[in-house]
Amino acid sequence: MALRAQFENNNEIGVFAKLTNAYCLVGIGGSENFYSIFEGELGETVPVVHVSLAGLRIIGRMCVGNKHGLLVPNSTLDTELQHIRNALPDTVKVQRVEERLSALGNVIACNDYVALVHPDLDRETEEIIADTLKVEVFRQTIASNVLVGSYCVLSNQGGLVHPNTTIVDQDELSSLLQVPLVAGTVNRGSEVVGAGLVVNDWCAFAGMDTTSTEMTVIESVFRLNDAAPSNITSDMRASLIESMS
Amino acid sequence: MRIETCYFCSSRIYPGHGIQFVRNDCKIFKFCRSKCHAAFKKKKNPRKVKWTKAYRKTVGKELAIDPAFEFEKRRHIPVKYDRETWTKAIQAMKTVEKIKQKRQGAYIMQRLRKGREIEQERDVKEVQRDLSLIRSPAAGLKQRKQEETIAEDMRSSDEDMEGIVEDGGEVTL
Repeated sequence: MALRAQFENNNEIGVFAKLTNAYCLVGIGGSENFYSIFEGELGETVPVVHVSLAGLRIIGRMCVGNKHGLLVPNSTLDTELQHIRNALPDTVKVQRVEERLSALGNVIACNDYVALVHPDLDRETEEIIADTLKVEVFRQTIASNVLVGSYCVLSNQGGLVHPNTTIVDQDELSSLLQVPLVAGTVNRGSEVVGAGLVVNDWCAFAGMDTTSTEMTVIESVFRLNDAAPSNITSDMRASLIESMS
Repeated sequence: MRIETCYFCSSRIYPGHGIQFVRNDCKIFKFCRSKCHAAFKKKKNPRKVKWTKAYRKTVGKELAIDPAFEFEKRRHIPVKYDRETWTKAIQAMKTVEKIKQKRQGAYIMQRLRKGREIEQERDVKEVQRDLSLIRSPAAGLKQRKQEETIAEDMRSSDEDMEGIVEDGGEVTL
């Protein structure tokens, strides 16, 4: 199911929210309307946690995570780290990383199995990503843009990349990631797809400006439209059961 | 709220104090006061400035390597809140602090003990060298002389007596 949402009249909801198969983080201090969209859709299956990082609510760009773990930047305060740890399930590992590039959401894009990272990322950070998130790490660029987290959105079903990505690049990336990729936009032509869209294996949230054509593309590439009962028993089952147990 | 340590002098920085500098490679330097900040701006090395903790540790004036220092550090992996571990940690902090103080004190005393030994050695040497200041080598010279004269007198009188005895012997013979 793909939904539209808005954070305080701002369509870049990927900035203020982080969605994975095991949890959902939302920035604190937003309107209840924004939270209820997430809670209404996810409340039964995964925890929706209100957090800030380093006193900021742009958590979607600051942190990166999947169902195995969550990485937060070095500037995260101790109290915030403790709050995240208390709110998330025990199976999710939480770790703070000492990385020069502190906007981890912009420089890392990952699903539960693979991660694309910024070419200048520290070697130690790369190891921490591999250990905590249990992913294979690839240093890549998307449409010759180093901010892979901003210009690409991944789930275990598929991925949306920057509209200028060439077919050759898309083929190379999708062979690395082992998921189908599509070049597209959100929020009526915004090419910063990471900022306009959050997805997991069974639902997606896009900015309020997203057109129905863009919605259709999103639903088809992340395989959200055929999330019928038959699909619940097969594809979604594993991730749902893991999130509930 | 976190009590940081000064980059230069390693003292504590309480909220609302000091200044911080962020280098263009994202490294953050925190200073407790303008003295430390000024020293940093002059490119002073804290290991070579005598009033810093870093200097005292590098030249071995204070305890530098000890497992007691391993407790207080910034941790990147949080643990879930649990009231029992929390209270235990608070208790442990007090005992660790006590042990740390004791070890640091013991280290300094150990270090000072060597100085005291050297001091004592030097004192002994000084006394031996300058003994004449306390006791003149001529002291008792007069008395000794007197004794000598008495002894000489005795010896001479003995000789006389012997002569008499000899004479006597001659007499008997």
